[in-house]
Amino acid sequence: MRRLPGDRALAIARKETRQLLRDPAYLGLAIVVPLLLILLLGYQLSLDVKGLLVAVVDHDRSRWSREYVDGLVHSEYFRLVGMLDSPEEAREWVRSGRARVVIDIPPDFGRRLSAGRPATLGVTVDGSFPARGQIGTGYVEAINALYNQRLLREHLARHGAGDDRLWPVQMELAVWYNPTLESKNFIVPGMLVVILMIFPPLLSALLIVRERESGTILNLYCSPAGRWDILAGKALPYVAVSFLDFLLIFAASIWLFRVRFVGAVWVLVAGALLYSVCTVGLGLLISTLTRSQLAAMLATFLGAVAPAFTFSGIFTPPASLDAVGRFVSRLIPATYFMDIVRGSYLKGGGVVAYVPSLLILMLYCVVIYVAAWLALRKRLG
Amino acid sequence: MISRLAAMIRKECSQLFRDVPILLFVIWAFTGAVYTGGHGMGAELRDYPALVLDLSRSAESRELLSRFRAPYFRIVGYAGSDAELVRWLDGGRASLAIVVPPDFERRAQRGGARFQVISDGSQSMSATIAGAHIASIAGRYSVELLEARLGGARGRLPQVDARVRVEYNPNLVETWFSGLLEVLNQVTMIAMLLAAAAMVRERERGTLEHLLVTPLRPWELFAAKVIPVVVLVPLAALGSVFGIVHGVFGTPIRGSVALFYAVSVVYVFALASLGLAIAMLARNLGQAMLLLLLILYPMMLLSGAFTPPESMGAFMRYASLASPVRHYVDFGYQVLFKGNGLAYVWADIVGILVLGVALFTISIRRFARLTR
Repeated sequence: MRRLPGDRALAIARKETRQLLRDPAYLGLAIVVPLLLILLLGYQLSLDVKGLLVAVVDHDRSRWSREYVDGLVHSEYFRLVGMLDSPEEAREWVRSGRARVVIDIPPDFGRRLSAGRPATLGVTVDGSFPARGQIGTGYVEAINALYNQRLLREHLARHGAGDDRLWPVQMELAVWYNPTLESKNFIVPGMLVVILMIFPPLLSALLIVRERESGTILNLYCSPAGRWDILAGKALPYVAVSFLDFLLIFAASIWLFRVRFVGAVWVLVAGALLYSVCTVGLGLLISTLTRSQLAAMLATFLGAVAPAFTFSGIFTPPASLDAVGRFVSRLIPATYFMDIVRGSYLKGGGVVAYVPSLLILMLYCVVIYVAAWLALRKRLG
Repeated sequence: MISRLAAMIRKECSQLFRDVPILLFVIWAFTGAVYTGGHGMGAELRDYPALVLDLSRSAESRELLSRFRAPYFRIVGYAGSDAELVRWLDGGRASLAIVVPPDFERRAQRGGARFQVISDGSQSMSATIAGAHIASIAGRYSVELLEARLGGARGRLPQVDARVRVEYNPNLVETWFSGLLEVLNQVTMIAMLLAAAAMVRERERGTLEHLLVTPLRPWELFAAKVIPVVVLVPLAALGSVFGIVHGVFGTPIRGSVALFYAVSVVYVFALASLGLAIAMLARNLGQAMLLLLLILYPMMLLSGAFTPPESMGAFMRYASLASPVRHYVDFGYQVLFKGNGLAYVWADIVGILVLGVALFTISIRRFARLTR
């Protein structure tokens, strides 16, 4: 009987599928854990920095200082935690973390402003979490600018020059892609990318090294199946599991979280397929290179999962990483899938915009599988 | 009894130290991973890529645009048309576009000039901060124009000058923060992984049966699995804090290293117990790994390093108290970075102790069941 091309790979795939199905706890976890994670994170994780704790030292206690503080705490960005008496006390609050921002208003604040003269005040920001410190600084400056505008308008009105239309420069802000600036619209798609980089490679990283540990790898060495057959056969069922994870998370993001989706579904599906092939291949490559399951797991963790979490641009646009960060982000496939995912969910646009990323993912697949093919020797020792 | 335990610990240690790949990964986790991680987690606004469409091409528009500068913004290109602008934003090459209309110059002098900012909202947090910065840029520029219009009124207008001083990290150097965070996270991960792996390995190989028929008591087995991890991980963390975080990134270490080490030992003990408890639930390494991740990720995301606890919802804020990582991260920053002593961090230490005792109890009870 003539052999069909690829039937050896299919036979191995059948064996792997059966093995997977006969450990229902494992398969269940492989499908349920990603879904649970996205549910947990999607519902509860919010990166919006709001309600920063602010303490005020008001030496002035005038109408002006009260208005200034009101302007701060009536925004959703700050929450007043205390009116303190001395700067020393305030420093103590910052030190212990009870306040992240302290506003220190000097005694002549109101007097100077009412006389039409400039006044200063001190702002102390806890910089131990730089992002938070920067956000705090940014919010204070923006609210300060608003207060200044109001002061000037009132001042000009008193001097007969008050016409709102005469205000020199006004900014008009238009937010595209995510007009409501909801963080779920960027967290849920971002988590899709990261979760698909966590589970499929971790599962496939065990595939070959497990056979090596238990000794059954010899069966494969002696079988007529070639290296390509082994790789393809082992990858197939896990690509299917990964794709199933993708479908579940995608469904949850659309129907449960109601994330904006404006792009073409098939572009995203094509990207997800390539990405799955790629991530499973990455696991297989690690599996061929390591000698124990534990080592394979740790290598996947540090070599694939952690960089995806840090450098794919889930929290920071890669453009604002530093040089090392930008370099790493270009090296990992998650960055390119992130481009496709964020684009498909929020930006839309034609396929053309995503062709480069799709091509790069394809290139990754080729490189990874060729590397795995080279690393997989049917030899002992 | 002591010699029994000592023998078992010796066995665990030699197993750990002869496993070269594992050791290499532990070393990488506390060196290379900390180094790369220190460069990645920037959630703050830095070099935010901005595109310019300047239809005014006047001194005023150039003056406005010159204020979009480092460290917050970086102008990455100049568009000639709306279509080009859309291409830049769609392609993600710019996250912000500044459009200055043709009548900007005329109106800036008389009043009522407007410019448009188009912000890519897909990174909602960065977009929010960028918006705040641009609002202050526009405000400050307006005031300067007004002062000029009123004829050298500089310093004679009622204006509040907010002088911002940043404590502990005056230049808001991101690597100071993320390098240290990475060390604390690696402590968490490696402690759980190593302990769980040591147990699963015995299970998978079937050597657990051998151990159970020896005179070894369950608690001795437990101690033997935990002690090497408790010895190794806090030391590695100290090495990383001094070698990478302080040595390479130049982060000032202001606090008591002894206190950090002591609490780290307790923390690693707690997490290693958790790792063992998970390993007892799993039949093979694959299952153990999935369970570990299921617990690890929510714990780390609740740590308060991504979202300040005060910005979380009420439910999450209380749930985060159950995450040992939250106490440890807060403790680590307070002690190492702010130089705070016991008086400030006792609450975190209590949290770690309470959670540690709870995890230890759960874990040791599962172990006691082994012999039944």
